[in-house]
Amino acid sequence: MSDTEQTENFVQQLTECQGRLFGYIYSMLGEHSRAMDVVQETNLVLWRKKSEFRDGAPFMPWALAIARFQVLAHVRDQGRDKCLLDSELVAALSEETEQQVDQLETKRLALRKCMSDLPQEKMEMLQLRYYRSMPIAEIAKSIGRRADAVKVALLRLRRGLADCMHRRIQEG
Amino acid sequence: MASPEIDEFEQLLFDWEDGTLDTAGTTRLRDLLRKSQAVRKVYVERQMFGAILKFDGDTGIDSADAGRGASGAATFSVSEEGPRFPSAVSESAVDASAALQKTADSVEVARRRYKSLLFVIAASFLFCLVLGRWLLVESRLQSAEQVKPETSEALPEKLESTSAGIALVTRLVDVTWQESEKQFTVGDALSVGVVGLESGVAQIEFFCGATVILEGPARLVLESSTVARLQSGRLRAQVPPAARGFQIHAEELRVVDLGTEFGVAVNEGEADVQVFDGEVELYQPNGEQRLVTAGNAITHAASGVFELAELTPDEFLGLEALDDRVRNQKEDRYQRWLDHSMELRKDPRVITYYSMEQDRYWKRRLASSVVPENRNLDGAIVGAKRVVGRWPQKSGIEFKRPGDRVRVNIPGQFGSLTFACWVKIDSLDRWYNSLFLTDSYQRGEPHWQILDTGQLFFSVRLGGGPGKGHHKVLSPPFWDASLSGRWLHLATTYNVETRTTKHFLNGEKLCEERIPDELFVQQTCLGKATIGNWSSPTRPEADFAIRNLNGSMDEFVLFRDALKSDEIRDLYIQGRP
Repeated sequence: MSDTEQTENFVQQLTECQGRLFGYIYSMLGEHSRAMDVVQETNLVLWRKKSEFRDGAPFMPWALAIARFQVLAHVRDQGRDKCLLDSELVAALSEETEQQVDQLETKRLALRKCMSDLPQEKMEMLQLRYYRSMPIAEIAKSIGRRADAVKVALLRLRRGLADCMHRRIQEG
Repeated sequence: MASPEIDEFEQLLFDWEDGTLDTAGTTRLRDLLRKSQAVRKVYVERQMFGAILKFDGDTGIDSADAGRGASGAATFSVSEEGPRFPSAVSESAVDASAALQKTADSVEVARRRYKSLLFVIAASFLFCLVLGRWLLVESRLQSAEQVKPETSEALPEKLESTSAGIALVTRLVDVTWQESEKQFTVGDALSVGVVGLESGVAQIEFFCGATVILEGPARLVLESSTVARLQSGRLRAQVPPAARGFQIHAEELRVVDLGTEFGVAVNEGEADVQVFDGEVELYQPNGEQRLVTAGNAITHAASGVFELAELTPDEFLGLEALDDRVRNQKEDRYQRWLDHSMELRKDPRVITYYSMEQDRYWKRRLASSVVPENRNLDGAIVGAKRVVGRWPQKSGIEFKRPGDRVRVNIPGQFGSLTFACWVKIDSLDRWYNSLFLTDSYQRGEPHWQILDTGQLFFSVRLGGGPGKGHHKVLSPPFWDASLSGRWLHLATTYNVETRTTKHFLNGEKLCEERIPDELFVQQTCLGKATIGNWSSPTRPEADFAIRNLNGSMDEFVLFRDALKSDEIRDLYIQGRP
C-alpha cells in the first residue's frame, strides 16, 4: 500500500471513530469543553503515532488505549478539584466504558426513538440541560419552576430515558 | 428497581454535573464509585447518555436545527474556532425555545443532520491537521528510522510507561552522546534526568508543549515537564502560548517564559539569555526579577552582574534550520548510499544483490540489482509488505506474519561466501529467526539466521546424521529489545581458504571461529532459498519450521568471496541511515 493510501485509510478510520472517542472521553470526564480538549489531544497523538499503527489491526482498541492515556494525563494534570475521576477510577471504569462505547450507535438510535415520545415541556428541560449545559438554577428561572422541582424532574427523566433505551435495545 | 445506593449516587452525580456538589459530597461520590461495580455501570450509562445528547446537540441533530438555515454560518465559525467547534455550533444553531415551535420536515432535518455532522468532523480534522502540520513533516522524516510496530496488546503497557516521561526526543542530527550519560533514539520518552550531548543537535519536546533544540556539547537536566536546567551548552526554546510558564534554569538564573522564543547559553558560570520573540522574565536568587523583551539579549556573569549583550539569533539553531539539517542529512546519506550501491552492482564478486531501490510498492517481484542484468535472480515477494526503508525515498520489505517471505533461486557452485543485509528487527519471536535459509539444507548449503537469544547463527551443511551435519558458528548475543526498530547492518563471511566464519554487526566484528576439519565444507551452493523465512522443509527430522523474521529488511547482498573486515565496515558506513 502506498503512503497516500495508508494515510487515507488512517484518516478514514480516525474520522469514523470520532463519535466513539468523544463518547469514551466524555464519559470519563463528564465535562464538555474538557472532553473536547482531550478528544483533540487524542486526535493529535493518534496522528502523530500513525506510523505505529499497523494496517489490518483493529483501530478502535488502539485509539481507545491512547484516549485512555490522554484522559489519565488530563486527570493527573487537572487534579481532584476539577475532575471527578482520579487515575485509579479511570482504570476501574475503563473496561465498562469501552464496552458501552461499543454500543454507542445503537444507544443513540434507541435514545432518539425514546425522545420522540417526550412531551414538549420535558424536551425543553432536557435540551437546556444537556444541549446547552445550563445550570439547574438557570433552567428553573427560565421555565419558571423551583430548582428542586427541576432537579427531581430531570433525574426522573434521565432514568426513564435510560430504562427506555435499555428496553429498546433489548427488543432490538 | 434501583437500590438506595444507586439513588444516592445518581443524585450526587447530578449535583456534581451541575457544579453544586460540595467537597464532602464529591468524596462520597468517589467512594461509591470505588466500592461498587453496579454504581460504576450506572455511572458509565449516565455519562454515555449525556455524551449522546451532547454530541447530538452539538452536531445539530435536534429539531432546533430545522429550518434555521444557519448551518453555513455555524460551520464557518467552527473551522475558525478549532477545538471549541461543538460549542460554536451549539451556540448558534441551538436555540431551544425557538426550536420547540418548529414542526420539522423530517427529510430536511435528516439531510441537515448528516451535513452538519460531516462539517463538524471535517472541522475537527482541519484543526487537527493544521496543528499537526509540523507533526506530519516530522512523521515523514521519522518514518524511515522510527517505525516501531507494536502489537495492539502491547500498546497500553507501552503507553503507561511513556506516561512516566516528561518529554520526548523528536529529532536527532549527528548526535554523539556523552559517555557517562544515557543514549536516546528518536521517539524515546525522557524522564527526569540528564540529556548529555557530546556533539550534534537534539530536539526535545516537553509534555507541557515547549520545544527545545539542544546543541552539543551540552548538558540539560530535565526536572519536570515544565522545568529544565541547562548546565552547559546552548539551547533554543520555542514556547507556544499553551506552554507559557516554561522555565529554563541557567546557573543562578531562572528564565520564565511568557509565550515566546528564546535562546539560553551557559558557559563557565556565565549565562546568556536572548529573546527572539515575545518576552521572558529573569529571576535572580536574591528575588530580583527583570523582563527581557524581543530583540534583547542579556549576559549574567558569574559575579551576578547583568549586562546588555548583542542579539545573535544565528548562533541558536532554530526549528526550521534543524528541519533543513535533518533533511540534508537524510538526503546526503541516501545519495551516498545510492552512489555506493551503483558501484556495488558492478562488483564481479556479487552473486546476487537486492538493493530494494526504486521498486514500486505494488510489485511482487524483488528485482535483482546485479549488473549486467540477470532477471533469473529476481526474487518473489510472498505475503511480505513493501514499507519505507532506511530513508523516506527508499523502500524495504517487512516480514510480519508467519508466511511472509521472499523466494529466490540462485544457481551455481561457490567457495567462500559473504552475506550482508540491513535489517530492522522488531522482536525475535522464534527459536530461529531467518535471514537467509536454503530450502532443503543439503550438503554445501548455508543457513544464516538469528537465535532468539540475539545471537547470529551461520552454518554450512556437511550432510550425514542429525546433529553432526554441520558446524554452527554463533556470535555473542548482539540483540536485545533496546535495538528494536533500529536499522542494523549484519554481515557474515565464510572463508574457505582460512576455514573461518566471521560475524559482523554495524561494521564491527562480533566474532571469528575456525571450523573443525571434519565438519568443513569446501564447496558451497544455494539453489532455492528463502529470505526472511524458511520454506517448510520436507525432511522428517526438520524441527522448528516456523522461522519468520519479525522485522524489515532493506538491502541484501551475497558475495562469492569472503570480504575483508574493512570492506564490511565500508558497507556499513556507506549504507548508514
